[in-house]
Amino acid sequence: MGKYVGFWYIMAALFLTLLWMAVSELVALPIIPSPFKVVDNLADIFMKYIAVHSLYSLWRIAAGLILAIVIGLPLGVVMGYFPKVDRFLAPLVYLTYPIPKIALLPILMLLFGIGDSSKIVMIFLIIVFQVVVAVRDGIRSIPKETYYPLYSLGASFTDIFYEVLWPASLPKFITAVRVALATAISVLFFTETFGTQYGMGYFIMDAWLRVNYLEMYSGIVVLSLIGLLLFTIIDVIEHYSCQWQSK
Amino acid sequence: MIEIADLTVRYRSDNDIYTAIKDFSLTIPSGGTCAVIGPSGCGKSTLLKVVAGLIKEYDGSVSINGQPVNPKGQTIGFMPQNYGLLPWKTVYDNVILGMKIKKSPELLDRNVIKHLMRQLGIEGLARRYPNELSGGQQQRVALARVFALQPDVLLMDEPFSALDAITREEMQDIFLKLWRRFEVSTIFVTHYVEEALYLGQKIVILSSDEGGRSQIMDNPLFGEKDIREKEEFFQMGLKLRNIIKKDWEQAWENM
Repeated sequence: MGKYVGFWYIMAALFLTLLWMAVSELVALPIIPSPFKVVDNLADIFMKYIAVHSLYSLWRIAAGLILAIVIGLPLGVVMGYFPKVDRFLAPLVYLTYPIPKIALLPILMLLFGIGDSSKIVMIFLIIVFQVVVAVRDGIRSIPKETYYPLYSLGASFTDIFYEVLWPASLPKFITAVRVALATAISVLFFTETFGTQYGMGYFIMDAWLRVNYLEMYSGIVVLSLIGLLLFTIIDVIEHYSCQWQSK
Repeated sequence: MIEIADLTVRYRSDNDIYTAIKDFSLTIPSGGTCAVIGPSGCGKSTLLKVVAGLIKEYDGSVSINGQPVNPKGQTIGFMPQNYGLLPWKTVYDNVILGMKIKKSPELLDRNVIKHLMRQLGIEGLARRYPNELSGGQQQRVALARVFALQPDVLLMDEPFSALDAITREEMQDIFLKLWRRFEVSTIFVTHYVEEALYLGQKIVILSSDEGGRSQIMDNPLFGEKDIREKEEFFQMGLKLRNIIKKDWEQAWENM
């Protein structure tokens, strides 16, 4: 990350706000309120109403993400390192990967209830496949000679994991999470319109049904900020854990 | 001391058995060097992998200092063709990686490592990553890594082949200096006749003929001063080339 990253983020935000302003002036309908009114409204209601919804959404994303890491990472490592396991598991992954996970929502809601668990499992399902495939491919692309000096010193699997497999797959793994996260947030929005009174999805849809466009836009802005926060966290983690890549 | 007796290695594919090495015997005294030369596909790398303990299925016997090859019990330094440095570790962490794996803190003598890195001219690079280094510098790091282990055996797979000619000669001299200091029994694979003549006390010419006879010769020129500029060095190189050529022709006829 360069020195001026913050500056460019502010420029991007400024550009989007100007675009929004222009459109709202052009359309001049309540459905596109001016950004200033929205920010004003947001400052008013954030602590009162929105904060609790955003925390619920963040918790669901975090839980789904952690679950995907805990299950996807070891699976990807094993599939990448042991070709025999991959021969057996790859068809399973390839057959289930392309299924649009959102299509499974009714089934998940029947199995896990309409509460938090079905939403978390949904996010897990979206992220886990990307993690498995990215980690596996990352490990497969390590040249065989990399292992030889370690094997000839009698390295155990634990050594190989900590010294080679984990650091080699980390960048691919972080990229996979980044790509999957955007999808996860959109799908989370959708799942939160069912069976809950909390979450950004619920808040935005509720404001829409109440024809309160100011609140609806406030919710959308918060959702976008949640995304920004998560991406920033991922970037920072990548910066510190994968320094060798940026050199 | 490395003793290889009646070594035969076969590769099994789905419906074929390929003999990479047949009835090969070789003894290298403690602290000796041996060059293995021959065209690609003649089993050079296979031989190294057997001594490194990477290939465990073979006939015959291979022992290091009287014990059968055992990566856990012995210290076997292996330097692969692309140096085998881990790109996510700094130069220093790469150098101490072997000791970390051997779990031998007594080897983790910072002074020895520092001295070794200074001798190799890489002390200033300790905090850099391998992909910031030139090929020659990576080669030095790889040498520091194996010699820091003070291994029972040192195995090098085409160690200097990726370097330009001038850097290669420089690295060969650095290798000889380190080898004299640590007295490590060394086997290295090369396809440069000059490299074999300069660094090998013994020279093994592996046959490219499937399972054909390999030749082992003592190198009378080893260790002589400025030998690379002398007439007998050229003559000897020519002789070696002819032996290899003959073997090739033989292999073609038998194909």
